[in-house]
Parts: sequence; structure tokens; C-alpha cells
Amino acid sequence: MFFNSIAFAIFLPIVFFLYWFVFNKNKSTQNALLIIASYYFYSCWDWRFLFLLVFSTFLDYYTGIQIEKGKSEKSRKFWFWLSILVNLGFLGVFKYYNFFASSFSELLNSAGVKASPFLLNVILPVGISFYTFHGLSYVIDIYFKRIKAEYNFVDYSLFVSYFPLLVAGPIERATHLLPEIKVKREFDLENAKQGIYQIIWGLVKKVIIADTCAPYANAVFDNYTSMNSFSLILGAIYFAFQIYGDFSGYSDIALGVSKLFGLDLLRNFNYPYFSRDIAEFWRRWHISLSSWFRDYLYIPLGGSKGGLWMKIRNTFIIFVVSGFWHGANWTYLAWGFINAVYFLPLLLSNSNRNNMDTIQLKFNFDSVKVFLSILYTFALTCIAWVFFRAKTITDAVLYLKRIITSKDFSFQYLDNERYSYELLLMIGIFVLIEWNNRSKVEPLSGKWSTLKVALAILAIMAFGTFSDYKEFIYFQF
Amino acid sequence: MKKFLIYIAKISVVTVLIAFLLDGLYTYIFMHSNNRGKIEKVFNSKAQKYDVVFLGSSRANNHFVAQMFEDKGLKAFNYGMSGGHLFEASLMLKLMIERKYEIKNVILEADLNLSNEHQAEGISARFLPYIHNSEVIKDHFSNEADFNELYYIPFYRYIKYDGKIGFREAFFISMNRRTNAQDNLGYYQLEKHKNGNMKNNIVNLNPLKHNKYYEEIKNICKAKKINFISVMTPICENTKGMNYFDKVKKAYPEIHNYENVVIEDKYFSSCGHMNDAGAKMFTARIIKDFFKK
Repeated sequence: MFFNSIAFAIFLPIVFFLYWFVFNKNKSTQNALLIIASYYFYSCWDWRFLFLLVFSTFLDYYTGIQIEKGKSEKSRKFWFWLSILVNLGFLGVFKYYNFFASSFSELLNSAGVKASPFLLNVILPVGISFYTFHGLSYVIDIYFKRIKAEYNFVDYSLFVSYFPLLVAGPIERATHLLPEIKVKREFDLENAKQGIYQIIWGLVKKVIIADTCAPYANAVFDNYTSMNSFSLILGAIYFAFQIYGDFSGYSDIALGVSKLFGLDLLRNFNYPYFSRDIAEFWRRWHISLSSWFRDYLYIPLGGSKGGLWMKIRNTFIIFVVSGFWHGANWTYLAWGFINAVYFLPLLLSNSNRNNMDTIQLKFNFDSVKVFLSILYTFALTCIAWVFFRAKTITDAVLYLKRIITSKDFSFQYLDNERYSYELLLMIGIFVLIEWNNRSKVEPLSGKWSTLKVALAILAIMAFGTFSDYKEFIYFQF
Repeated sequence: MKKFLIYIAKISVVTVLIAFLLDGLYTYIFMHSNNRGKIEKVFNSKAQKYDVVFLGSSRANNHFVAQMFEDKGLKAFNYGMSGGHLFEASLMLKLMIERKYEIKNVILEADLNLSNEHQAEGISARFLPYIHNSEVIKDHFSNEADFNELYYIPFYRYIKYDGKIGFREAFFISMNRRTNAQDNLGYYQLEKHKNGNMKNNIVNLNPLKHNKYYEEIKNICKAKKINFISVMTPICENTKGMNYFDKVKKAYPEIHNYENVVIEDKYFSSCGHMNDAGAKMFTARIIKDFFKK
């Protein structure tokens, strides 16, 4: 059930009505309804994986309590590691086993040893990377005594399985979401309206930007050997906007839907393409994952406390692991590695926290510098996206090489029977709207909100791509 | 909560109003289109007189050289639509009749397309802007599963088929940007492709015994006293399941089998489509067999 589907448009009002008019007696009834709705939502993808989700939930619930109750450090450690290993084990089997098996076999073959890998015939359960990380953060926080274990199974299940964030995040923290779940929600008109704005803006990003850019980006990437420099540059830009519109659009809808139920989720995107350097980009892109890796990997590894080499090592580890989190392919690893390389000069010059303030542009030289630094950062990001999107690292390298060697900047007709330059105006307008509203969560709230909502609906209907129906990219992670 | 429900109701009303507004605007634009495609050309035309009209899929569009008929003094137009099935061919003929066309001969390409009665959505969608302005279009779609949504929900058809009749197409019509669909009297010539696929496998294809839309075309021609000629057009030699054409002949004895009048690969652009040279050979044979004066 996609957020941009008719099925969801029916599902959401039904759950909303039941939540506020039938199951509104106390927080337990509210939570029970949301759990049922969430499990139904998840089973629409594949009901068989519901058992995996319930098992994973129960495992973390039980081990969390055992860690808290554990009288000796040995017992606490046992339950902690059991949870970590089982969670990562599921992730490893479903997501990474085939990759490692085939890579190892290729390595042996290249060394002259004949080997045919034993591959598992499994499909990746939707959302497994997201709900596994929910569970992991919960168990780690209990082990390090940052939070208390949750004894109410329904409340804990809702924290893991809450349908707006179940399949593509944001990756929530028990410290943030569980306290909200523990109290009865009261309806708040302004919050609900804010939710509607976010849902509509999320749809704008998804159906106008992401799904419209997708066929152009696909046409360029799938035929890159016959594309000229101009088309290849445009292809990378289209993919940059496709993935941004797709993922941040999903997050916006998730946050908006959640506000309708009186629950605030963590913000996941903050206009990342307006970043002035890569460090700022990573503070604005997929914030819930970046902060997860910072808190549960970078800091436990020693963070930036242990000297320069440790800082560099830890930086590379979190970027590469973050890349690998996206999928079992060398291209994701390369994408993570490239971002680490981008980050390195900032780290070495101690300027990775330079751009913490809000961006202001005026008619002066400094503003030109800011503008150029935004363009430069965006260009770096696009280069990295080429690795993320390409089928293999070789394809990515050849793609980038061809941008330089083709030296042809004429307009090209793509195999989707459209010209490569067609979307530039649309993307330009989108960027201007986001730029003018970068201090807000979304551009629709504030003055003239009714008119802006009407225009957004009109734009979705008139300019959206619906027939070439696309699922959200991050569902595959 | 009451205020919020009123707010949602307002948004819903605004959405419906926008849908009506856009539906009206897009339909108006499509009603004034006549240089983008064959369907628009027929819908927005007045009564025409033709000696010969060609119908069918790409195997009609790329195979009947209408100009060769014109050279013989016969007014002709190739209304074959690449990607189309008999569903669309039948509707096209109905639309012509609704527009009071006077047609002496219909040549229908009827071979591979006899194997199904489905609509080809990419092509049939182009009729949908006119669904409220043409009884035959409305009736033709009335048995389709999503007819109620397409007919009654404003703007739904433009959203569902946005790739074909959405903003981009409406914009190009407004800009009066033409396509080549009507060039060469509707015939679209193909070139010889170096890497053209010269293999085909139609083993699993079977002609339906009484194809609804084939029978419709035949019956319309009979009722309107139009000479109906149905033909199977050539396919490359390297095709598995060539007995398909025998099965067609058995089920429909009136269909003329021209599958093997052009066989050499050099006359094909791909296995199912002849190039210009092949199309001219084939058309010459059709003229010789049916229009020899």
C-alpha cells in the first residue's frame, strides 16, 4: 500500500475516524487500533513477513526487559548480544548473505579456484533495515541505561511497527517516540493542519518531482554509452532530484500522517541541496539515519576523541557502513566511501561544523561565495549519486568519464521519446519554492495557506506522473 | 475536531472543483487538436470521402503505402496505429462513421492482433478526452472494467493516462506542435536496421475464433456497404510458429493471406515490420490483386 495510492487514500480516513471517534477513550485503545492498522498496512506488502516483524518486536521487547532485570553484568551482556546478533542475523540473511556469498565466490574464481556459491532464494522483507534499527537503538539504549525497558507490549510494538514509519522511516528513537505513545493523544487542530500541509507537499515531491524525473534519469543511466555530456549531467541532476523527491516526499507524508494521530516523528530532511558543504549536507539529508550512526557507531568507536587517525578511521567506517546499509552492492559502498572522501578535508581542517547557521543571501560578495559553495556541494553530491544509481562501479566510472570525453552539449532525444532538457524549468521552479521557504518545515503553511494548498493540489493533478507508477526507492532498503 | 473536518471538507470540495476545471480545460484543448495524431484528426474532422482506408496495428501503419493508392487516383489514408489492437481499429472506424465519412473500401490488417480482444491502453487512452463528446466512444468503453471511473470521475482519465493525454500532450497541442503521425498519408516508413531483430516466436499465439472487434468491423462495413478487405501482412522467415497464419485462415477464411509475399530479411526493419522497400512491394501486390482497373 503506497502512500500515493487509492488504497491508502481509503485506509487513512478510516483509521483516522476510528482513532478519534471510536477508539479515543484512552491511550491503550488508541495504541491498540494503531497496532492493528499498522499490521494490516504491513501485511498489504507481504503478510508472510508480518511474522518476522512480530518476532523481531517480541525479541527486542523481551531482551530489553531481561537486560534491565539482569542482576549480573554477564547476564545483561548475554541478552544484549543475543538481541544484537539475532537482529543483525536477520538483516544479514535477508539482505547481505547472497551478496557476500557471490562476492566471495567471484574472488575465488578470479584466484583460479572454481566455486559456485550457495545462494538463498529469499526476497528482502520491506522495511527490515528500518525496523531492525528501531529495535537495535532501543536495546542499546537500555543496555547503556539511557532509558528504561518498556513493559507494555502493545506500546513497544507500536514504537517499532507504527505504520507511517514502518517501511521507510524516519528511524525513530525510543527516547523520542515512546514517551509520546505512553500518553493519550488529544486532537490539536493546528498540528493536524500542519500534517495536511506536509502530506500535500510530500505528494508534490513524490508525484511531480520524483516520478517525473525517474523516466528521464532511467533513460539516461540505462543508455549512458550513447549519451552526450549535457544529457549525462542532466541525468545525474534528475536522479538527484528523483531520490530527494522520493525519499523526502515519503518522509513528509509519514510525518504529516503521524501528526493527524497526534504523534510527532523526527524530521528527516532539511533542504539538503541548499547545503554549503558536505558536512552540512549530512546534517540535512536522512537525518534520522545519520544521527543513528553517529550515536550508535561513531561515538562508541571513540568518535573524534582519540586523535586524528581515529577520527579519520571512524569517519570512513560510518560513511561506508551507511552506504552498505542502503543495499548489498559495491556501488553503495563506493557511494559511502566517496562521501567520506568529501568529508575528509573538512575534518582535517576542523571546519566540518562551520556552516551551522541559517543561510542568508544578500547583494554582496559573501553571498556569491555562499551561492557558489551551494552549487559546488550539489555538484559533489551528484557525482556521488552516479555511483548510487549505476548498476556497477565500472558503469559509474564510465558514466563520469563520458561526461568529460563526450564534449557534446547539444540537446538529445531520449529513448522515452522526450528531450533530455525538458524538466529543467520544473526543477527550477521547485528549487525556488523550496529556497523561499527554507526556514519552514514545508512551503504551504503560513500566509495564503489555503491558496497555496489549492495550487499544490492543482499542480499534483496537472503535472504529476501517475501512469508510470513508481514505488518509493527507499522501500528496497 | 469539527473545525478540522470542515477544513478537510473544504479541501475535498476544492479538489473536486479543480478536477472539473482541469477536465474542462484539457478536453477543450484536445477538442481543438488536429495535427498530433490520427484519432484527433478523425474526431475533429468533418465528413470525408475515401476510396480506401487502412486500419490495424503497426503492421498496417508501416505496411500500407497510401501514396501508391493516391497515385492510382484512389483517395486513401493509412489509419493504422502502432501499438493498437483491433479494439482501437474498430473504434476508429466507428468514429469515422459517426463523423459521416463516406468510405468505399476498408483494408484491415488482421493477423497477430486477432489473438486478443483487449484494448491497447497506450492507444485507446487517446480516445478518452472525447468520451463525453462522442456516443460511439462512450459505448465502446462501456464494457471496460474501469468505465465508471473514466466516465464519471472528473479528470480521472487524464490522471490515469497522463503519459498519453496528460499535461505534456495538452501543452504541445496548445503550442500547436505537430507530430509526424499524419505525414505520408498516415503511412510510417521504416528503415532497414543493421541490428534489427530478425527472429520472432509466435508459437503461443492463437487467433480467437470470433474476435469481437474483428466481427464489429466486418459488420459495420456490411451495414454501411463498405467493401471489406482483410489481410494478413508479411512477417520475417525466421519466425517460430508460422502455422499461426494457417490457423487464422481456418478460423477466418475471408482473410487473405499475404504473410509470405515478402520474405527476404533485406525487406524487413524488424521481424514483424517491413521496411519501406518491403512495404512498397507488398502494397503493389495489394493494389494489383484488389484495385486493378
